[in-house]
Amino acid sequence: MTGKRLTIGLLVALSLVVIVVLLWLKLGADGFSARAKPSPIEQFAAATARKLAMPEHAKRLRNPVPYSNEVLEQARAHWADHCAYCHATDGSGNTEVGRNLYPKPPDMRASPTQSLSDGELYFAINRGIRLTGMPAWGKPGDDDEDSWKLVHLIRHLPKMTEQEAKSMKQLNPESCMEREEERREQEFLNGHSDKTVPIQHNY
Amino acid sequence: MKKLSLVIASILLAASFAFAHGNEQHVIGTVSKVTESSITVTTTDGKSVEITLTPRTTFTKQDKTITAKGIKEGDRVVIHAKKNGEKLEATSVQLGIAKSVDQKSTH
Repeated sequence: MTGKRLTIGLLVALSLVVIVVLLWLKLGADGFSARAKPSPIEQFAAATARKLAMPEHAKRLRNPVPYSNEVLEQARAHWADHCAYCHATDGSGNTEVGRNLYPKPPDMRASPTQSLSDGELYFAINRGIRLTGMPAWGKPGDDDEDSWKLVHLIRHLPKMTEQEAKSMKQLNPESCMEREEERREQEFLNGHSDKTVPIQHNY
Repeated sequence: MKKLSLVIASILLAASFAFAHGNEQHVIGTVSKVTESSITVTTTDGKSVEITLTPRTTFTKQDKTITAKGIKEGDRVVIHAKKNGEKLEATSVQLGIAKSVDQKSTH
């Protein structure tokens, strides 16, 4: 009798799940878009899954690369070239790609990221984050120096100066056309007539 | 010749991507009117374009941050803007150090 009740209960529960899923799909009949913002439930589920998947020893890892201006300089160049395309130079995530990823990259300057331990930040860089746009970078293991240098840079993002951001932007990857357009804009601002600004092709 | 065709094809492809995927427009020209909420620019090809200013718009002159009040008619500007419906909303306004060539020639 108990077994029969259990079976009926499971069937009812399963039916409810199916109904909820069908309703969800029906309500989302416009199709899924990466432009959408993940719902609080999705955010909670993703954050919890990531937390559970983080190895215990990762949380305790300390940055083995000593902080120095030289290290920060290298990390700035690395970030500008590899990370800024999605995360933005200032870490805000406010780029064409960042705004339209699903899930969006977080504002790295804000508390949810800054409150992570050095080891957790390292693991996010070195192992990537599944089912997001974040790939795994560097060589596998706990001692990828470049990834640890980036941890220093992430800690520095909340206090980054305008001048630093400006110099980093010069290191952002650009297409030939973007470089050419930027050159023409600067020459126009400096007083050249747009019609007389020569176009250089460096393709 | 084959190489040249390949280069031209690549450039055209890159250009079409820039227009299709980057929804940011670059407006280059001279300020013809400025209000608290918008800037009207006469572009280098003679068109008049109105760009809305938002609280997120940044203003710079020679890499230094300025305010909207520092912009005057006749100033050279490069404005990066995004389409929002029918409006163009400025994300950044860069002010030139020189006045427009047309304005110089009238003095």
